[in-house]
Amino acid sequence: MSRKVKDNLLKAVTYAASAISVIVLASILIYLVDHGLSSINMDLITSNYNAETFNAKVADDYVYSPMEVEDYDGYYSAKWGVAFEDVETVHKTNEISVAYVDSNSPFAHLESLIAGQEGTRQSLENNYVINNLYYNDAEGNQVYLSQGKMESAENLANILENEVTEIVSLNYQSLGGGIKGSIITTLYLILISLTLSLPIGISSAIYLHEYANKNKINSLIRQGIDTLTGIPSIIYGLMGVTVLFPITQLVGATSTSILLGGLTLAIILLPTIIRSTEEALIIVPQSLRDASLSLGATKSQTIFKVVLPCAMNGILTGVLLSIGRVIGESAALVYTTSTVINDYPTILSQGTSLALMIWSIMSGEQPNFELASAISLIILVIVFAINTIVKIIGKHFAKSFS
Amino acid sequence: MKKILSFMLIALLALGLVGCQSSTPASTEGTTTEGTTTEDTTSTTIHVYTRDSSSGTREAFEGAIGLEEGALTSSASEVSSNGDMATRVGSDASGIGYTSLTTDFEANNIKPLSFEGVEASSETVLDGSYQMQRPFNYVTRAAGDYSSDDLEQLVAAFIAYITESTEGLTVIEENGGIVSFENARPWSEVAQDYPVLNQDNSSLTIRTGGSTSVEKVIRAALESFQPLAGNVQFAMNQSGSSDGHLRTLGSEKDGANAVEIGFASRPFNAEEDVTSAMASGSFCLDAVVAVVNAENTLENITAAQLHDIYAGTLTDFTEVE
Repeated sequence: MSRKVKDNLLKAVTYAASAISVIVLASILIYLVDHGLSSINMDLITSNYNAETFNAKVADDYVYSPMEVEDYDGYYSAKWGVAFEDVETVHKTNEISVAYVDSNSPFAHLESLIAGQEGTRQSLENNYVINNLYYNDAEGNQVYLSQGKMESAENLANILENEVTEIVSLNYQSLGGGIKGSIITTLYLILISLTLSLPIGISSAIYLHEYANKNKINSLIRQGIDTLTGIPSIIYGLMGVTVLFPITQLVGATSTSILLGGLTLAIILLPTIIRSTEEALIIVPQSLRDASLSLGATKSQTIFKVVLPCAMNGILTGVLLSIGRVIGESAALVYTTSTVINDYPTILSQGTSLALMIWSIMSGEQPNFELASAISLIILVIVFAINTIVKIIGKHFAKSFS
Repeated sequence: MKKILSFMLIALLALGLVGCQSSTPASTEGTTTEGTTTEDTTSTTIHVYTRDSSSGTREAFEGAIGLEEGALTSSASEVSSNGDMATRVGSDASGIGYTSLTTDFEANNIKPLSFEGVEASSETVLDGSYQMQRPFNYVTRAAGDYSSDDLEQLVAAFIAYITESTEGLTVIEENGGIVSFENARPWSEVAQDYPVLNQDNSSLTIRTGGSTSVEKVIRAALESFQPLAGNVQFAMNQSGSSDGHLRTLGSEKDGANAVEIGFASRPFNAEEDVTSAMASGSFCLDAVVAVVNAENTLENITAAQLHDIYAGTLTDFTEVE
């Protein structure tokens, strides 16, 4: 076999290998964009996942006035000034939603019947889903119209038009399907885990690199930290729910909580932060330390006033990598923050991060690929942004000591 | 050297092709066990799907077909939830599994089979002619074992809503549960016993756990109950019937996953003592339905056939007549 053929073969192998990695990445991206891009909009980011439910009646002071009828889609009831259409919800069930409400419609002048907020004025809005309603018919009998009896948007519009003389009460809900709660939970998790792991991680990196002597105990500590990096995160999750849960109970947690998830993540982040801080400290030239010491500064002054500021870029890289880790982590959180999607998360409540939310909606009765793909795209964009920033910092970092 | 290199090249290219090919169907695969979807879909070899051992659906199914413990064929793939089962069978042309009657068959591309010649429906379940049925049960925490009295009252009110009120029973029926309206009263009457409903409860959360099969009916019931109960919040964490008792009265009742109401898609068994619960009972009936992929031509199946399929002695759809 000639040398040339051999060379070309080797070259072809490397080409093929890189082609495979590009193809894999591209197919993931194409799949996600294909399924998820159409679901991404501002509503997705700012609205709740769980439907908000309402129970209301027509306000007492409502006076009938002719409808102004603008544009509407769906099936319209001229008598009530409201139009409906059939939609599919985030749980993949078929429902009847509102397509148009006239500003003079009684449905635009509702009063809440929910205990605690009685009398609050509200209006039926587009995309709200009708659950059921009580009405009076021509003979004055009260009728309960359940979701099943409405059948379809067309039928509901017909019933309203032909049979209903008075609305007694109306039970409706928002469409839901947003990711606001999960975004807030993710931010909480980043905040809690970083405030805990940053000081501990940076301090221990300083100890290991600046103060520690080379002895058996210290090399054992170093080896321990390296091993921590390799432990699967699900094991941290198990440890979190058994060991850390009693600690969160002391501050009032009654179930798995975002605090518990944050504590667990803080432990997961420790090795990353210690490692990246140490790398940053190694790059700070010895001459800087020597110069500081020769000027009469103590060792601690040298470390905290000279070495640490110089290592700041590297530490920042570690922080960004940690944020990426928190955003991507899911296994450890299944046990520690639960898989309940919570729209109003607090530190002591359950909730899901964005990554965990994907798990949660995919394991439900009717997996929602579109929403899962949309969330994946958002996560990918964030991770891409973080990686870019890390690269920029890295470049700046490399320049500063050359 | 040449041989090794060319072999490597071929292997890499083959890998690349497989990668391209499976990029779309791979997305429908769950996280569990063997990926049967990449196999030849025209073959009639039966792919058996079953639920995990904590499932009430599995218990009801194995009881109905008389499958002894440990007799399950080793080639069965285990799936983690009712929805997972529906998705997997829906994407596997030669798959067979079983789900709750509440499942949306069409949306999942699956077809329910008649059992012993009887089609599953609310009539055939209520009159007992469809035999593969089971009750959906609930169990609450013990009286006094709630974080507040208001929450205890709300849980009691919710139980009354789904068992006694016409409105609650209607919601359950419309979401696939099988109920009888014999003793139903209007909600406005039932609600009078629970003054807690007349106050703002938006700071309280009812947590539910247990069976995954009840998820659809209970979610619908909770959503319609919420505005009637001062906007009480709810959190559903369904993981399988055996957790229903465990997390309300059992060893995990004060743990991180504690819940107020636990559900089981089978009767509570001898080890699950529910006598200390504030309330416990059945709120609707459900049928377990054997399902196949929508492309399958099979319409009816018998207990004996299902037994043989799940025991691994019947392995081909052409043998099922």
